[in-house]
Amino acid sequence: MTRRFSLGIDLGTSNSAIAVCDLDSDQTRIVEVAQIVGQTQIGEGPTLASALYLPHPAEFPGGLAMPWAEAGDTAIIGQFARDHGALVPDRLITSAKSWLSNPHIDPRQPLLPWQSDLKDGKLSPFECSRRYLQHLKQAFLYSEGRQGRAWDLSEGQIVLTVPASFDEVARSLTAEAAKAAGLGDVTLLEEPQAAFYAWTAQTGKTWHHLVAPGDVIFVCDVGGGTADFSLIAVTDVEGRVELERISVGEHILLGGDNMDLALAYTVRAKLDAEGKTLDSWQFLALRHAVSKAKITLFEDNALTEAPIAIPARGSSLFASTISTSLDRATLEQVVLDGFFAKTSLDDLPIDARRGGLQEFGLPYASDPVVSKHIARFHARSLQNVKASEKLAALVGWGAATRTLMPTAVLFNGGVFKAAAIRARVLDLLASWNGGQPIRELQGFAPDLAVARGAAIYGRHRATGQGMRIKAGAARSYYIGLETSMPAIPGYRPPVKALCVVPQGMQEGTDLLIEGREFGLVTGRPADFRFFSSSVRSGDVPGQVLPDAERALEETSLLEIEIPALDDFPAGQVVPVRIDAVVTELGTLELWMQHVNSNRRWKVEFQVRTE
Amino acid sequence: MGAMKAVSVITVSLLLLANAFALALASNGFVALAAAAAVLPYVLIATLALGVIALVTILAARTPAGGNRAAATPALPVAAPTKAPQADAEIVGFLATLQAKGRLVDFAMGDINAYNDAQVGAAARVVHAGIKSVLDEHFRIRPVQDGAEQSAVQVPANYPADEYRLLGKISGQPPFSGTLVHHGWKTDVVKLPTILRGSTDRLPVIAPAEVELK
Repeated sequence: MTRRFSLGIDLGTSNSAIAVCDLDSDQTRIVEVAQIVGQTQIGEGPTLASALYLPHPAEFPGGLAMPWAEAGDTAIIGQFARDHGALVPDRLITSAKSWLSNPHIDPRQPLLPWQSDLKDGKLSPFECSRRYLQHLKQAFLYSEGRQGRAWDLSEGQIVLTVPASFDEVARSLTAEAAKAAGLGDVTLLEEPQAAFYAWTAQTGKTWHHLVAPGDVIFVCDVGGGTADFSLIAVTDVEGRVELERISVGEHILLGGDNMDLALAYTVRAKLDAEGKTLDSWQFLALRHAVSKAKITLFEDNALTEAPIAIPARGSSLFASTISTSLDRATLEQVVLDGFFAKTSLDDLPIDARRGGLQEFGLPYASDPVVSKHIARFHARSLQNVKASEKLAALVGWGAATRTLMPTAVLFNGGVFKAAAIRARVLDLLASWNGGQPIRELQGFAPDLAVARGAAIYGRHRATGQGMRIKAGAARSYYIGLETSMPAIPGYRPPVKALCVVPQGMQEGTDLLIEGREFGLVTGRPADFRFFSSSVRSGDVPGQVLPDAERALEETSLLEIEIPALDDFPAGQVVPVRIDAVVTELGTLELWMQHVNSNRRWKVEFQVRTE
Repeated sequence: MGAMKAVSVITVSLLLLANAFALALASNGFVALAAAAAVLPYVLIATLALGVIALVTILAARTPAGGNRAAATPALPVAAPTKAPQADAEIVGFLATLQAKGRLVDFAMGDINAYNDAQVGAAARVVHAGIKSVLDEHFRIRPVQDGAEQSAVQVPANYPADEYRLLGKISGQPPFSGTLVHHGWKTDVVKLPTILRGSTDRLPVIAPAEVELK
């Protein structure tokens, strides 16, 4: 099929964006997203606020509908949803994407808004993602149509980005949501890789002069609500420069919003001490104001403080506006020293998961120090690289080298618009590198790089031209095997794990796990526990690990039921082997392959709920 | 064509005035009844005559040379607006944005005399931050003339007349040399939101009344 364009979609935790690359003209641009921006207004913005508001039927009786809305669909998505919903929190859904990868809930159950008293009309994290994607799709067609460009989605290469830290369940749910949103089969791309593609395109043909074989590039992406890290190695394969993604980080719910909130709490404490108290609406205004003051101070080093004025809710602006200021010392203390402290390389985040009465919700990072999360990513990357000879050779890691320091950093995400924060992270990395500086790859428009990079990757895929990062599966995957041993009271036998997908398994390949057969009973559902790891690059398919719970993370439950058939009556044991497939689109499928025939049955991922 | 357009505009304005007069007479009730009875026929005749002039003007405007239909359309005499014009609604919508983001209407409608400069200053910061974000979002505003104010500048020959205002003693031929007093402002991008309107004929509100429910 001829592709006419590629569409890059950045479905973000707090903001989403789309970019299109016209393959005829080879131009890539951001498409502004139409959305409700006020109580009576539709406007376009470079990003779509990933916020969904469920109005009360009496609120907007005329309806606040987008031109493409289906009848009866009253949910509002975008900027107005976020602004208005901030004052009606019971009806506002945010961070749906983080719920998609939350192992404690079933993302298909209508649970959002979380802890809301709404009786009906709640949505599932899956449904929210589907609606955001549908909005982005419709806004793209609408906006392009208004400018006289008609695209047929079936002629497009559609690339949807996901965090590098997403496991297989979250990835396949995202791909499924895209399909349900009418986007067809989308290709998945990890966000830090997308940022890297955007960087290569922005740098132009000179990018490969800026990196050389032997480089290890740290992509450091800290957005509004999440931090996502990856390492990309630059290698020389028979004289050609190749790139390989060698490590991905964990899902960390920590970002710029935490920094704004910390600043707002600090300023509020100062106001409290002066006897000025803020109501919840004023506190929201304060959050916006400190965020702006932060940008002002970071942009202009000559300023020692930025004034802040917080209006009251009523119409009287003169009588009740509270004035205060954010000074540079406070800003540096809260943001630079609080979140980007100069910690040592062995100072890892404190995992203060308090037992007992911990409130159940999103698994926010309990340690706010980004530096420590970077240190932990570093330690895990090192562990991963050491686990396979291939990766160790790739980065030149030997017995003499003790650490795996990146040689270059690519920043992404709104937090790094502040030069002072970039400088601090570079300082931190240099201090871990024996004082040797680590260079920065100059980034561009960190808010929109991921969408742009996705469109560029789509272009490379559709045309077969241009550089591609060798990536494959970011994690290795395992099936739990119950250990057969005599029962001992008070002792639970460990669960062994059979490796079915090795890390780095390439897209468009499949692997039949030889040598191990399973017996499935027809007509009766069978469950398997499913595990993964992002630090075991050396494990090979068919390998058995002695203790899954200790070495791996539990990802989901696999469920399979072979129907009773003519030649397999109910209750008969059918011998099968496991066939693992990584599709061209980047999703993982597991099949149970009958040993004596070509018949096979697909295994479904079930979300593990506790 | 321009003259014809002007004629149609004037005609329709007169027509509207006459209609308004008729309406005022009719709604003034019985007090003015005697006068109205006397004047009404003339008013109706005048209305009819003006309508005919309008029709002729419009027909004349639709010349065979393609006819500027878009220009002629507003002159249709029967097109009494069924709801507040879209242009007005859009202006109110923009005012609503300035109020929502920058509290502009609160600022202007509040009693400034009762407060000291510190209080006004604090309020001005709210307005400044909000209005600036609105201007940045919807326009791309730049000075007309680069260079510092109070510095010497040259106004080129064939300068766009609306971009420069010459002050002081004007003589001779351009280019003109002088001192830049104000660098001017212009925008080449306007990106305004579209107004969502229901079936009502009202203008959108500038700011809704806010009521908190417990």
